[in-house]
Amino acid sequence: MSDIVISARGVQKSYGSNHVLQGLNCEVGKGITGLLGPNGAGKSTFMGLILGLRPRQGGELNVLGVDPDRSGPELRTRLGYAPEHHDLPGDVQAADLVRHIAQLHGLPRRVATERASNALWQVGLGEERFRPIGTMSTGQRQRVKMAQALAHDPDLLLLDEPTDGLDPVQRDDMLTLIRRVGSEFGIDILLSSHLLEEVERVCDSVVILANGIVGHSGTLQDLGSAASGFKVELDSDPEPLAAALVARGAAAAVDGHSLIVSGVDSASDLIRDLVADLGLGLRRLQPRRTTLEDVFIEASQ
Amino acid sequence: MTEARIHDRGYMAYDGPRHGPGRAMANLSYHTVQRVLGLKRSNWQKVLPAIALLISFIPAIVFIGIAAFLPRGDELGLESSADYYGFITGALFLFAAFVAPEAVCTDRRSGMLGLYLASPLSRDTYLVAKAAAIAAVLATMTLGPPILMLIAYTLADAGPDGVTGWLTELGRILASGTALAVFWTALSLAVSSLTARRSLASVGIFVGLLASSAVGDGLAEGADIGDSYALFNLIGLPFEAVFRIFGQTNSEGPPIGEVDTWLIFATLIGLIAAFGAFARWRYRRIEITG
Repeated sequence: MSDIVISARGVQKSYGSNHVLQGLNCEVGKGITGLLGPNGAGKSTFMGLILGLRPRQGGELNVLGVDPDRSGPELRTRLGYAPEHHDLPGDVQAADLVRHIAQLHGLPRRVATERASNALWQVGLGEERFRPIGTMSTGQRQRVKMAQALAHDPDLLLLDEPTDGLDPVQRDDMLTLIRRVGSEFGIDILLSSHLLEEVERVCDSVVILANGIVGHSGTLQDLGSAASGFKVELDSDPEPLAAALVARGAAAAVDGHSLIVSGVDSASDLIRDLVADLGLGLRRLQPRRTTLEDVFIEASQ
Repeated sequence: MTEARIHDRGYMAYDGPRHGPGRAMANLSYHTVQRVLGLKRSNWQKVLPAIALLISFIPAIVFIGIAAFLPRGDELGLESSADYYGFITGALFLFAAFVAPEAVCTDRRSGMLGLYLASPLSRDTYLVAKAAAIAAVLATMTLGPPILMLIAYTLADAGPDGVTGWLTELGRILASGTALAVFWTALSLAVSSLTARRSLASVGIFVGLLASSAVGDGLAEGADIGDSYALFNLIGLPFEAVFRIFGQTNSEGPPIGEVDTWLIFATLIGLIAAFGAFARWRYRRIEITG
């Protein structure tokens, strides 16, 4: 079985004169992938195309081995989707809603009933499963959305801003649950978010959309191992060291008592020697990792 | 001895058979019928559908009682099936305007439409399933009572003469009931597709029907510029079609009673198609994500 879950080549989508996706290229592998981007970057539009809710205007899109435009209903049987909004019918019991959605995805009634109950237990709503959704908190509704997306055992789960509206404790619980679904349950996840820290916490890979194209894509592991200079922390003013480094052709940016040094080979040797020559106290010298925030800002620009 | 409980049941993959989109449509229709009838909902939600069903069935039960307990009921002026639809106009009006919008408006307002369209259902199959659900309840009202009356009249020896007459009557009932159910379904869906608010859809259907009646009859009778303008009367048109199916004309509706039968059927079919196409067009434009 291929390790590529979603493959997009030159995908285009416009609404009138608004070109939302302008030749999007990316590959989403197995595991948990964060779909990042500022508001209006095209995240929800891309999710709509993955679900086959809208035809694209150009390019190739392959989801779980099929084209959503041609095989939408068959594909959606294998997808789970939790939308961003918190609105669900208030007078329906959670168990009824989850069972109903599971049946729509092709499960026989008896199996759907059993799995709906099980899914609600898995998301932590086992004791609350017969409560009307209208009486539930935002956090519980987010869990109901997760349960209805899980109950029919999808191959790919699409989560659109799953922590929106949650308080810090609820957010922490939800991220733990997402991580559990992706690792223990073995379900691949595409998680749309604009919150970098939650993507960093639960995702294996990231696709960053900006202005209708992919600004960056790759694994977070690769991102973290990509060194981009050194971080130097002194116990005194770093300006003399910065000036000395610049004089030797390095790029040095002062950040409080720290320096970010790049643009020169053997930087660590150079920094060591200059610190000794200048008689400065060195607290820390470490390779500087590229953060998701760095990549996000760069991609967004 | 303590009772053992399993707290973490674990996640189980599912490798069993899955039904296709056809079963999803049937499931959605079933769920929608339950919802519009107020089943598994508060008692307040059951009131309007219950009233509509009672209005449609009570006259039939009365006529069946007359046929059963009074000898020679037909001589007492038992209502024909064609006339019966006049008794249940209010029920159909009530259901189409105030109950049926619940089938679709709430899905948009509650976000369920997004979940439905993320399932094997498409926009078209979703609409067909919803239409089938509304039409099924309406058909219960338009077919149930006349068929009950036909059976009861026959048992009371007050029904149509001979097998051919009986089958002809049954065929006319099926055609009439289906035509009415489909027309009111298409009308209700078309207006409901304009808004996510059930109350707005209800007002739209209510005002639209009254306005069409006033305009149609006003143009045909008041302005006297031609009987065909009575076809604008969306309340009178489907019931006149029923009379024509039974080979009669509505003696109480002079303007539309003068219109050719083919024009009445063509207008009815055209309106059903137009309402359906409009609802489909509206749903193709609705954004689901983002």
